Amino acid sequence: MLKLQEVKKTYRIGPTEVDILKGVNLHVRKGELISIMGQSGCGKSTLMNIIGLLDRPTSGSYKLNGSEIVYADDDALSEIRNRSIGFIFQQYFLLSRLTAVENVELPMVYRRGDHGGIREQSMELLRRVGMDGQASHRPSELSGGQQQRIAIARALIGKPSLILADEPTGALDTTVGREIMELFKALNADEGITLVIITHDPVIANQCKRVSLMRDGVIAE
Amino acid sequence: MQEGLSYEGRGDCRVIIRANIKEALKSLMSAKQRTLLALIGIVIGIGSVIAMVSVGHIVQVESLRQFKEMGTDLISIEKDDGSDSSSPGIGGARATKSSIKLADVLGMTAGCSAITVVAPSVNVSGQASYGGKNIPNSRLMGVTESFRDINKLRISQGRFISDLDAQSQFCVIGSNVATAIRKQGCGNIIGEKLKVGEKVYTIVGVTENVPESGMRNFSPNDALCVHISTALRSSKGSGISNIIARVSAGTTNNIAREQVMAYFKSKNSTLSLKVSSPEEIIAQMEKQMRMITLLMGAVGSISLIVGGVGVMNVMLVSVSERRREIGIRRALGAKRGDISGQFLIESVILSMMGGTLGILLGVGASYLVSLFAHWNFLFSFKAILLGVGVSNVVGIFSGYYPARQASMLDPIVALKSD
Ligand SMILES: Nc1ncnc2c1ncn2[C@@H]1O[C@H](COP(=O)(O)OP(=O)(O)OP(=O)(O)O)[C@@H](O)[C@H]1O
Ligand SMILES: [Mg+2]
Repeated sequence: MLKLQEVKKTYRIGPTEVDILKGVNLHVRKGELISIMGQSGCGKSTLMNIIGLLDRPTSGSYKLNGSEIVYADDDALSEIRNRSIGFIFQQYFLLSRLTAVENVELPMVYRRGDHGGIREQSMELLRRVGMDGQASHRPSELSGGQQQRIAIARALIGKPSLILADEPTGALDTTVGREIMELFKALNADEGITLVIITHDPVIANQCKRVSLMRDGVIAE
Repeated sequence: MQEGLSYEGRGDCRVIIRANIKEALKSLMSAKQRTLLALIGIVIGIGSVIAMVSVGHIVQVESLRQFKEMGTDLISIEKDDGSDSSSPGIGGARATKSSIKLADVLGMTAGCSAITVVAPSVNVSGQASYGGKNIPNSRLMGVTESFRDINKLRISQGRFISDLDAQSQFCVIGSNVATAIRKQGCGNIIGEKLKVGEKVYTIVGVTENVPESGMRNFSPNDALCVHISTALRSSKGSGISNIIARVSAGTTNNIAREQVMAYFKSKNSTLSLKVSSPEEIIAQMEKQMRMITLLMGAVGSISLIVGGVGVMNVMLVSVSERRREIGIRRALGAKRGDISGQFLIESVILSMMGGTLGILLGVGASYLVSLFAHWNFLFSFKAILLGVGVSNVVGIFSGYYPARQASMLDPIVALKSD
């Protein structure tokens, strides 16, 4: 599914250069459910942004579905994000002017071609995350956990083959967190979706088939 | 598992455009104050362009109407003073030396085959008064019987001046003069006496109100008409000031002009005349209109530029405020083109809103202008199309740069900004 080789990311803060990723090697096969753990600030989100084609590595190689990523073709990157990747961000990143259901539908606005039944699909997904009662609420009218669930529904609408989740249960209580994990496991088992979950929670991590640990800018399995 | 990389379906962009329009309206509504401020420039710009085009159109139609009112088969003959501005001094003194003789004028119909009717007139200076009170704007004129026909005057009371009134002290007054006299509580105007300077005239008739015409430089509504011989006697020196002549059917105004020139040359070689036809006067008016249009066009363009800068400013602020949103949209699969399209549509909608208000303002202004100038108001569809077109162009031009900036934002930089 995805293969990172010697991926480095260097940030320049003023005159000094800080290496955040110092040669990450990660191979995730199709249908895997993998969690990445690590200290705060070790570069987990940075790695996720690179995997999600939002950011580009300073050096290294990244193969997705067997093809090397060409960063020069911006439209192609957008197309891959739209069709193949579902994002669940640490800060939810919902659009404040849109209602919950409109937020869920948003990826489909940018999908050329097949349309129809989007509203029904969005409502079905909201039901699945237990938010169908708040479909017409705006994000500001929802709690953090509720916003997170909207974000999960949004990640699923495009039927992606890869879901990247950055602390998906961080804002939820243990019960809801467990429910979300059950949903992820079901998506992985029934629909064969590959999931990469970044988490602090060992309980969550242990439910995954594979746990990777990030330390000192590299992945130590 | 290549579905992510191979994408063929361009599909329909209608969904995106519809979503973008909805988004644009939402975003403009959420920043009402800023939106309104940006609109002012556009509204004034489009408004003045629309007003200019539609007033121009109204004036053109109106001036044509004014000439058609009296007929296009008329020519106007005046003494040429050398130049239009009557400069004092030698030239002015010499010009008065030779004047048009009444006998020559009356002989024109016989001397020129192209002329069927002539109506000479004489202006006499002096303030008219009735019952000791001045009648404002009134003007004493010497005319002949044909004056009534050529100017298409109708009699509302009494009769018009006849050629049998030579040397008499009878006068026929215009509708405005009659109104002024009636205001002083006079019931039956016929037989009343008017005073102009030292002379007293008896009213024998009142003419109906007539619309203005470009063929004469006076209004018959303000006139006190007396027989031309009476006028010539009481205004020594001033002479015949204007002749309006009807050109016979089947001849052109140019042939008539040449005949008139030749006729007067044979009578008095020192006399120089200016003959103008409606076509010429219309052409001259159109030339003046073009100048005014050019000037107003400049004013309109400047305010449009100011308006465009306003729109661009609003869009730039909007882009920088919504970097996070841009990042989110990019993460979810929006291409650069989708983002720039969104901001471009917003900018076009913004200036279209301004354009619509501007059209209303411009049409309203031209309505008021024609109301005060007593012109027929015309709703110019062309002006509306122009307004819509121009506001579109302004929207695209001033939205282009901000939209491009938005689309060039790096997704991760946009996402991380607040
Ligand atoms: N644009 C940037 N410029 C400079 N430094 C950055 C930038 N973005 C991130 N960093 C640094 O990179 C490091 C890793 O950040 P990242 O967000 O990946 O951490 P994380 O592992 O996700 O932490 P957390 O668990 O708290 O979310 C941090 O030390 C941060 O300061
Ligand atoms: Mg993080």
